[in-house]
Amino acid sequence: MKSKLQFAAFAVSLSLFGSAATAAPSERGDLEAPVAINGVEPGAQGGVGLAIVGKKFVLAEWGGRSVLDNGVLLVKDGKIQKVGTQSEVTIPAEYQILDVGDHWVMPGLVEMHNHVAGRFGLNDMVYLANPGLRASADVEPGNSMTKMGLAGGVTSVLYIPGSGTNVGGQGVLLRTGFDTYERCEIRNPGSLKLAQAGNPERWLMRPGRTLMNYNTRNTFRRGIAYAKKWEAYEKDGGVKPRVNPQWEIFRHLRKREVHISTHTQMYQVVLKTITMVHDELGLPFFIDHGTFDTWRLAAEAEKREIFGVLGPRNVDPPSRSMIAWAGSAPERMQGVAAGYQAQGFTRIGFNTDSPVIPQEELQLQAAIGVRYGLDDAEMVALRGLTIVPAMAGGIADTVGSLEVGKDADILITTGNITDPRHSVELILQLGEVVYNPQEEGRRW
Amino acid sequence: MKKSMLQWFGILLASVGVLHFSAAPAFSLTPTWQDEESDGGEGSESDTDQDEDEAEDKDRWYAVVGGDIYTGTGAVLKGATLLSHNGRIVQIGYNVDIPESAEVLSATGYRVYPGIVAIASTGLFGGGSDLANSVDPYSQGMLLGLASGITSAVQGGEIAKLKRGFIEGTVMRSNFFQSMRLGTNNPSGKMQLREKFEEASKYLRKYRRWRNDRSKDKGPEPKATGIDMGIVAVLRGERRAYFSESQRADLLDIASLAQKYGFRPVISGGTEAWTVADELGRAGATVILTPRTRNDKSEQLVRDGGSSIENAAILHRSGVQVVVRSPSQGNSTMGGIAGRDVIHIPISASFAVRGGLPEQAALESITINPARIAGVSHRIGTLEVGKDADFIVTDGDLLHYATFVQWAVVDGEMVYDKQAEMYYAHIRPRAEAALAPAIKTDPGEGEEESSEEAGEGEESDEDASKDGDDEKESDS
Repeated sequence: MKSKLQFAAFAVSLSLFGSAATAAPSERGDLEAPVAINGVEPGAQGGVGLAIVGKKFVLAEWGGRSVLDNGVLLVKDGKIQKVGTQSEVTIPAEYQILDVGDHWVMPGLVEMHNHVAGRFGLNDMVYLANPGLRASADVEPGNSMTKMGLAGGVTSVLYIPGSGTNVGGQGVLLRTGFDTYERCEIRNPGSLKLAQAGNPERWLMRPGRTLMNYNTRNTFRRGIAYAKKWEAYEKDGGVKPRVNPQWEIFRHLRKREVHISTHTQMYQVVLKTITMVHDELGLPFFIDHGTFDTWRLAAEAEKREIFGVLGPRNVDPPSRSMIAWAGSAPERMQGVAAGYQAQGFTRIGFNTDSPVIPQEELQLQAAIGVRYGLDDAEMVALRGLTIVPAMAGGIADTVGSLEVGKDADILITTGNITDPRHSVELILQLGEVVYNPQEEGRRW
Repeated sequence: MKKSMLQWFGILLASVGVLHFSAAPAFSLTPTWQDEESDGGEGSESDTDQDEDEAEDKDRWYAVVGGDIYTGTGAVLKGATLLSHNGRIVQIGYNVDIPESAEVLSATGYRVYPGIVAIASTGLFGGGSDLANSVDPYSQGMLLGLASGITSAVQGGEIAKLKRGFIEGTVMRSNFFQSMRLGTNNPSGKMQLREKFEEASKYLRKYRRWRNDRSKDKGPEPKATGIDMGIVAVLRGERRAYFSESQRADLLDIASLAQKYGFRPVISGGTEAWTVADELGRAGATVILTPRTRNDKSEQLVRDGGSSIENAAILHRSGVQVVVRSPSQGNSTMGGIAGRDVIHIPISASFAVRGGLPEQAALESITINPARIAGVSHRIGTLEVGKDADFIVTDGDLLHYATFVQWAVVDGEMVYDKQAEMYYAHIRPRAEAALAPAIKTDPGEGEEESSEEAGEGEESDEDASKDGDDEKESDS
């Protein structure tokens, strides 16, 4: 421990010359995790500070910097305290130094469509609209699928109800690195799940789009009316309205604290989501899936600054015999994300719909996006795994990029994690080590 | 090397007029082609009939020049030339004399790799079983397969080439696997299999004694009644024993069986193989695996178990040959869920690299290793003189997710050109420069600076696979 501190001081003096300490790792398996002091890890709440020194930092700022070379990132009390080049940032003497060498430092990945963080007891199909049901009741922290996802770099997830009904219930935003619900919860409610069409048709009476749209609009209008009553009360006082758990979520939606995660895909369906939910009802939502030929609508979505979290189908194959029910172009493999980008759409995110695609393969969704034509010159792929889904879910104030004040949810990787060949070597969440393959074995 | 080249030319001259002549007569004359791994069989029994059109006897030369040739043996020749004659590679290197009549593909800035060999596939040939009679040479599946770099694939019990536009000479071999049922959680099944091996082995000894007996009164040929002739074929090295097992205990049984009876098992699945890698290595096993397989360890298992992303890497370190298979064997992108089917097989292999498999071994896991277990490694799987001219030209590292196949060549015939076909032409279309008319001379580029690499390449026939190439980390 003592030598660590000496080492820290030594590195401080070195950093004056813009150089990192010796014996920095360049191969997988070389990384030494920070050492806890008196049972508290450096960087964690109440611990000494942690200084991460490295050559490549993926900042993933929205509309800002993509990367920072030869940087230092200071972590204190679970938050990112400072980010800058090695010449800009002075490392306080007591901070422990984690020199990651050739490894990359990047924000944890953010998944806005997860069904595996619990026991999937949340696709109840009794009523066609269930705005009061809460996924938080079904969470199973640290289950094996969540741990695999974590090993794949996914540190934040939106755990949501299925799409068996039009309004499946409320999602919950979770950290994946901890073992108790209390430590996992980022925000509850995390979202309201809307399934515009394309699944709720299987509900009891086999409703068509007419009834589904009527029912969704009716439900949302009643919710909005409830929220307005509360807003009037909060503004002007008077008789306190009765709390109705069925409609409470709409108060959060109206305040834009919570967004609607919308299972919506195919041109006509997404058009309905945009015109009904955004234009007519004025509620915040993001496109979740947005696949098949939805990309044709991307310019309309961009005009309204709507987010698209794309997947799990990130390719729209020609219809001829591959799949009968798609095909936005008869003779080409249409990359979904590439289609959005070609229409000038900028808020491109990715999802897995885990377990449809295993949670740990979130990065592959971005890779598939790039493979099928997404231009990654502006680091669209990595942003689509981090800051974009974080903004879509309304949690970009705490996660999604390496910026001062955000949670220290940090991945150390062997390189660009979009590439399946690269692996995660260490994960910090709120400054604590939550995945260390050297110690617990490599899970992914 | 040079000698065998001359031999080869002699044979070539002697056999001008046979267009797709494949194999049998030539093999006996040129032992250098034979792969020690091919375990006999040599495909002679199952090679398709060679009633080639004798009238079509024009020499066919095909050259790819200027590309970085990743031979698949470990050697990389930057900016080199590969020349093929009537479908066979006759030269790889620098300052190659290209005949006037040769078709030349300029691949400067691109990479040349051996075509991928898919060990398990469906739908790439457009036909059902009996590929020789049902292959659809213009099927969509074949186009998708070639576009993904696959030039040969196993479907059913056959391995065939994706020779788009051709009907003849596509099936290379059949019945190279002998399926074994070990019987998981079925001790009596295991016992029965052991007894079958014991009986087959006794029979074979008896038969060989009888066959080698030169005396006149040696008696009748030993009866094979009740003997499993499939197992006899395995013991004779004509077929590879093929097990579909994943659990540790079963894998150990296979290893001991293989060592006792002296055969090299092929294990498909192998989820827990990483826990018994040394035993499988000693048994000379090949494991066909899916790097992304994910199974939690059984709660009753005290030892290591379950799946591991490091499976391929650990097996490789223990001397087990690894073959990577896609999670799904179909050619479709499963309703748009891409990356798990046979047409994304390099992505599957790249997940093995994530688990620590060296890149060269990952390349081998989808080229030469599957060719070996199918008994066709003397023809395909690497780019070497004497082998079939089956290669792909890519715009980057084959294991990178954004890399596309630009051209595919089978038996020295261009069978796929990305810009000329539907599906992928719109994605990062080739720059105009690359579309310029092909040059007809060997630039001989990098002769001086690359002489070292060239030298390495010339050794590649033997065991260059042990040498890591300059760009890649070699496994210690």
